[in-house]
Amino acid sequence: MTETLSELTLPISGMTCASCVSHVEGALKELPGVSNVTVNLATNKANLSYDPQRVKLDDMLVAVKDVGYAILTAELTLDVRGMTLRQAQGDACASCVDHVEGALRELDGVTASVVNLGLGTAKVTFIPGTVSVSAMKRAVREVGYEAQERSEGADALDRERQAREEEIKRQGRNLIIAGTIGLIVMIGTFYDMLGPLKAIIPVWLSYKWVIGLLTTPVVFGPGRQFFTNSWRGLKHGVTDMNLLYATGIGAAYGIAVINTLFPNAGFGGEGATFFESAALLTGFIILGRWLEALTRGRTSEAIRKLMKLQPKVARVMRNDREEEVPAEEVEIGELVIVRPGESIAVDGEVVDGYSAVDESMLTGESLPVEKKAGDPVIGGTINKTGAFKFKATRVGKETALAQIIKLVEDAQASKAPIQKLADWVAGHFILGVHLLAVVVFLFWFFFGYQMFFDPNSSFIMSPYKLGAIGVFGFSLLLSVTVLVISCPCAVGLATPSAMMAGTGKGAEFGVLFKGAEAIENTSKLQTIVFDKTGTLTKGEPSVTDVIAGYEWKLEGSRLSGSDAKTDTVLRLAAIAEKNSEHPLGEAIVHGAQDRGLKLAEPDSFNSIPGHGVEAKAEGSEILLGNRKLMRERSADFSRLMPQAEALEADGKTVMFVSLNGQAAGLIAVADTLKEYSVEAVRHLHKLGLEVAMITGDNRRTAEAIARKVGIDRVLAEVLPQDKAEEVKKLQAQGKKVAMVGDGVNDAPALAQAEVGMAIGSGTDVAKETGDIILIKDDIRDVVVALEVAKATMRKVRQNLFWAFFYNTLGIPLGAGLFYTFASVIISPELAGLMMAVSSISVTLNTLLLKGFKPSVGREHKPRQGSGNPQLKHATVSVGND
Amino acid sequence: MEHEMVEKEVAQKSVLIYLPISIGAALLFLLASTLSGNYPLVARIGGTVWVALLSLIVSMPIVISRVKKRLHGKTQ
Repeated sequence: MTETLSELTLPISGMTCASCVSHVEGALKELPGVSNVTVNLATNKANLSYDPQRVKLDDMLVAVKDVGYAILTAELTLDVRGMTLRQAQGDACASCVDHVEGALRELDGVTASVVNLGLGTAKVTFIPGTVSVSAMKRAVREVGYEAQERSEGADALDRERQAREEEIKRQGRNLIIAGTIGLIVMIGTFYDMLGPLKAIIPVWLSYKWVIGLLTTPVVFGPGRQFFTNSWRGLKHGVTDMNLLYATGIGAAYGIAVINTLFPNAGFGGEGATFFESAALLTGFIILGRWLEALTRGRTSEAIRKLMKLQPKVARVMRNDREEEVPAEEVEIGELVIVRPGESIAVDGEVVDGYSAVDESMLTGESLPVEKKAGDPVIGGTINKTGAFKFKATRVGKETALAQIIKLVEDAQASKAPIQKLADWVAGHFILGVHLLAVVVFLFWFFFGYQMFFDPNSSFIMSPYKLGAIGVFGFSLLLSVTVLVISCPCAVGLATPSAMMAGTGKGAEFGVLFKGAEAIENTSKLQTIVFDKTGTLTKGEPSVTDVIAGYEWKLEGSRLSGSDAKTDTVLRLAAIAEKNSEHPLGEAIVHGAQDRGLKLAEPDSFNSIPGHGVEAKAEGSEILLGNRKLMRERSADFSRLMPQAEALEADGKTVMFVSLNGQAAGLIAVADTLKEYSVEAVRHLHKLGLEVAMITGDNRRTAEAIARKVGIDRVLAEVLPQDKAEEVKKLQAQGKKVAMVGDGVNDAPALAQAEVGMAIGSGTDVAKETGDIILIKDDIRDVVVALEVAKATMRKVRQNLFWAFFYNTLGIPLGAGLFYTFASVIISPELAGLMMAVSSISVTLNTLLLKGFKPSVGREHKPRQGSGNPQLKHATVSVGND
Repeated sequence: MEHEMVEKEVAQKSVLIYLPISIGAALLFLLASTLSGNYPLVARIGGTVWVALLSLIVSMPIVISRVKKRLHGKTQ
């Protein structure tokens, strides 16, 4: 056997040294059929010869990945015309997903292709240089569709909207023609039953040849699309919904023509026409498509809303003058001027001015956020009150808005496992239906007609008796009805439409799902693991309690009472710690400053490593430290010990303060809870989830925090690198686990969990790991994510139920199963109407998601900020617990 | 260009398979309906055409994709 070798150049990433070169070369050389491998470190490319019969590109991808590098792939989005209703000449159902994806995957160099029926796009992952865009377009064209490269941003939005409107117009035009003529044909067909109306309707309208003449332009005008599209696909070996429609309409029309030309052919004789079946069937199918085109665009409204936020112009300072320039021309470092009511063009940092900015469209934050010099601003948000200048830091595709749009688009273009199954079913359904049509025909032809046919029976909702219809006519009608009624359009729409609406809804609340799989997995979660520090708590210690000693007298103070005493204890302790760099010392200093206490410089300061500090200030000798230090210096804290122990039992670190050798008081320091931690956990419990907390803290401290928040399970004393292992242990118990944490530090645990939620990432979403990105640092968004996911999957299940319900009921009805005992069958045109209704009902059901509101109240949410913590009870309290 | 040639070859080879299948199924139907003796000519001919059409629709995509896979396998 002779080898046909092909040459290939692969772009490699991750190579830093010569040994990398040998690794990559070695990995590729090991593959059967690969030879002449040369890897170039400078160009980061591997040139090789390979035998396509023995090795695939996918094998190379895996081989290079296995040794720790990657073959670079690029992504491209194609607008696929003819696949969705938005575009011209297409079929509307899910089988085309398989065809387009398959055609693209067959191309050398394409590593993945994902078609989104709702968006009308095909996202292609390919190795640059190995396959051209024109080859992709050609492959798509060959399976019966038209493709073009998608443009980005607002242009894409305009084009998409324009294409959708064109499709609505086109199908609307078709509907007017088919509907009007269909109505006239129906009037003509049922002329005898019109009673007094016969006086105003010309009798020639009931002539068969007139009805035939009227029906012909309907079938070959508006109905032509089904014939041409199905033929285009069929000759390339693919079947789609158009084929069902084409055979249905074609057969109904054929029956009518035969019956007109040969009245004794067994189709009911002179009294029957069947032209109305062909005309109305065409009309109903087009009605379904038109309604779908109207409603389906709305499920992708979220992305349109985001795209609309992209400002068109910006006012920048150039050559000391204000200039209005297109937003995409703003460069990093340029000064941008924003006036009240204007949109912020790009991301940046305020350098001058003060204002409040409405960021709700991107973060879901309901209240305007104050902006002053040094604060970041996000492109696409709206300036409310003041004017300010900012320095552009991220422009073009790097802006937060562009990243969010890309993330949502990617998520919408991805497929949930349940969707893959639905696509497979829909894709293989068509052939199955045609096979079933053969079986139905053969059964009724050879057995059913003789056994069950009743001349007095009739179609559902039809006054005419089947009468003299012959065996062929009857069998053919049932066979055609099966074809029409079985269209799995609704099955194909059920999942993607809901996923699009769900991801969009999440984005509305600042919850970004990275894919449809993330939604599906989130809806199945059983346990939520929160990283403690920085997620449930603020992540920095702060003073929570100050207790003044009972016996200590405040000499020389004009103040009296416990407040004065505690203030003095805190103030003197802070003075002592003023020069300390210890985190606990800093917490005490911040605690005093937050209470507005003035801190003088200490006269002297001495750090006692491992124990505390001592200082002299305002004529007092201040000793601040742990219990051991106090014992060593003979300061008697026996009367304060019960309070100290109670604070320690709460997980707080207690510092003892002695003044001039007297026990002056206690200061407790702890990492404090974030303001919505308790509320979020309560809501998660309501959703029936187990809530766990993972921390490196000792068990006592961890449990104290857990008690306050209401955590069910505490995973304490876990080193950062072991967090992923703990998640794995939970999974080993059969639990579906989500990990909520910092997207950077907790990345391994986020990756290990079924769902990783990166919280408080801000708007630099592209850098985040995790399946879900929560833009705001608001832990309640975990609840929002779960509720959105559950609502979305509920819609998916409802949609799939309705879609399968229609087919489960429709197919036996169409096949004449009920005829065997109830003598009723459905006409092809009524079958067409049923299928149109099934698609519409699924889409409308999805649109109900638009009204989704999360259970956690957000509208009265106070601003989160670094405001002063408030001290509690008699002697103090700092923090929010 | 090569791709187009392969496609052409696929079409040519496929037609030699699916057409006989469809015609065979249709003839089988004709034979069965004739042998049973009770069916009018129109029913027999009409049925034959319908069975041929549906058989063609069913066999075409199956045969074409199989042939395509086989030929692509060979050319790669």
